[in-house]
Amino acid sequence: MIIVDNIGKAYGSEIVVDIQQLQINVGETVGLVGNNGAGKTTLFRLLLDLIKADRGQILSKEKNVATSEDWKSYTAAYLDEGFLIGYLTPEEYFYFVGKLNNRSKADVDEFLKTFDAFFDGSILKSGKYIRDLSKGNQFKVGIAACLLQNPEILILDEPFANLDPSTQMRLIKMLKEMQEQKRMTIFISSHDLNHVTDVCSRILLMEKGKIIKDLQKNEETLKELEQYFKV
Amino acid sequence: MLFTLLSHEWKSFWRSRSAGKSLAVQIFLGFIGLYLLMVAISVGIFLKTFIEKGFPGQDTILVFCGFILYYFFVDILFRFFVQELPTLSIQPYLGQNIRRSQLIQFLNVRSIFNFFNLLPLLLFLPFTIVTITAKYGAAASANFFISIFALTLFNHFLVLFVKRKTIVNSWWLVIFFVAIAVLGLCDYFKLFSLSHVSTIVFSKFLFHPWLCIVPIAMAVLSYLNNYRFLYKNLYLEDIERKSKRKEGADYTFLDRFGTIGELIAVDVKLLLRNKRPRSMLILSTIFLFYGFLFYKPQYLTNGDWGFILMGAIIITGLFIMNYGQFLFAWQSSHFDGLMSSNLHASTYIKSKFLLLIAVSTIIFLLSTLYGFMAWQIVLIQIAAFLYNIGINMLIVAYFATRSYKAIDIDRKAAFNYQGTSAAQWFYMLAVMIVPTAIYLPFSLLINKWAGIAALGIAGLISFLLQDWWIGILTKEFFKRKYLILQGFREK
Repeated sequence: MIIVDNIGKAYGSEIVVDIQQLQINVGETVGLVGNNGAGKTTLFRLLLDLIKADRGQILSKEKNVATSEDWKSYTAAYLDEGFLIGYLTPEEYFYFVGKLNNRSKADVDEFLKTFDAFFDGSILKSGKYIRDLSKGNQFKVGIAACLLQNPEILILDEPFANLDPSTQMRLIKMLKEMQEQKRMTIFISSHDLNHVTDVCSRILLMEKGKIIKDLQKNEETLKELEQYFKV
Repeated sequence: MLFTLLSHEWKSFWRSRSAGKSLAVQIFLGFIGLYLLMVAISVGIFLKTFIEKGFPGQDTILVFCGFILYYFFVDILFRFFVQELPTLSIQPYLGQNIRRSQLIQFLNVRSIFNFFNLLPLLLFLPFTIVTITAKYGAAASANFFISIFALTLFNHFLVLFVKRKTIVNSWWLVIFFVAIAVLGLCDYFKLFSLSHVSTIVFSKFLFHPWLCIVPIAMAVLSYLNNYRFLYKNLYLEDIERKSKRKEGADYTFLDRFGTIGELIAVDVKLLLRNKRPRSMLILSTIFLFYGFLFYKPQYLTNGDWGFILMGAIIITGLFIMNYGQFLFAWQSSHFDGLMSSNLHASTYIKSKFLLLIAVSTIIFLLSTLYGFMAWQIVLIQIAAFLYNIGINMLIVAYFATRSYKAIDIDRKAAFNYQGTSAAQWFYMLAVMIVPTAIYLPFSLLINKWAGIAALGIAGLISFLLQDWWIGILTKEFFKRKYLILQGFREK
């Protein structure tokens, strides 16, 4: 599905991403872990063609993401508030995203009904613009907007960081369902080792731009990660 | 403590992201500031001569006295629009071990460093020192000086107070403007004369130095009032705008345009729901009245159609120029999202074009009312309109692909140069040069109407080639997409 081919990115003399070869297959749930500055967000931005790579390329369905715009139709991502339109109400934003993906308003409404529990009553009909929502609630809007696109590839940057515990649990459940029912390819980064090993079938450990460990999940994975992050 | 806080403020000014980057803009603004300063100083120095020339045979000092209240009247109004509230900068200190009174002191002291507070000193001080001292002695002069300074501070804190009040309750805004309007109208219709009152009051000051107690008292009261208000309301939620319930809007007529319609709907919401674009819209509406400035009767009678054309280009293109100069930057806060959503760049650019054309058409239709001045104006405006939607819009979009600066749409627009970069200055140059280059050869070789026709036809042809242009602009956009994205991420 995604092939990262010898990609490199540096800011000045500081190398942020330096990956020789990485392949992500259809239906895989991949978790990206690493300390701050390891290059997780930069890698995501490269995947979404938001920054220019110094060398190498990223192929999505055999097409270079930097030269073809085809990936946009089956990829959904939420990295930060920069993906939300602050001056819209959540509903307006959902309709907007729906429209971009050829989903009618009724269709979007129907979809949003399944998110009632996830939204916990604080998103829809809240009488607020997105910019006035709390960070956690903005995140919920972002995640829901991603799933609304019914993507084949889903990219989320630290989805658990701003959510309350119950929503974290709901999100984990949702991600698992997506993977099982729709064979969605999911790529998330997280600092929460428990959650990420719970959700993901494969863990990539990044350090200074390099992927230093590529683990298929088993009972030992969490321990191994904890060993790495031990102070 | 006050000193530490002020030093932080100093640092925040010099270290702000926009300070270092846009050196050219800083230098330009510096020159403008210097220029204004020089003007103010020279007006101050030559005030006596001006008054003698303008009001021959009258006592200069009495004329001067008549001016003072006028000045402070206009000052209040002007301050209201331009002066910023120094509020949010205290947010990080609220949790620290700093007494509330100290914070308020800081807010108030910090706010005093303002061009408006320097201006009256520059304007009035030379006159006070030279002329008044010569005739009425040092005591009267000192009295004047102190009074003027005190009135400045009175205005300063009054405006801060009223502005803060209007944030909490918009009725204050209405009351404020009604009061100002009533005063202004009374003066205009000679119900009473501000200048008369001013002369009576301030001529008393010449003989009774102790009277400066009154303005001082006014200043102190104004300060205390502001202090008290802040003391009671120094909670973030009070300083922040009380938010009303926001309802979504649905522009069903745009639905039929599919994705492009949806993008335009988002743009319309951007225009209506954010401070800076909203004030840009209001400014644009004011520009509509520029016709009365540009379409001068002597141009019409002399047949100086070239000048009229220039005015027509500005009026029919005002939205294209004002909105277009930040075409993509308006959406800088969510550009990452737009660029990774299921949306082709060409569709995005096309939606921008349609918005510019639609609004420009409305403006053009409104501007045809100038036809009542002379029918030729309508013809010229048609040519100018065609030029604007055919060519000017392309220039604007091209420079937008070279503009990498983010703007914060939630800040006010007046004197806001955030997001302005070299691209904007080049654009301004292009705006002047391109139409001249099309118009001039034809008007010199044949006649002025040929020049105007050439401009209109060139615009129309280019307009018909729009889809082709969009292809080219999309390529240009992709060449610099990463630069734009990176620039927009750096707020």
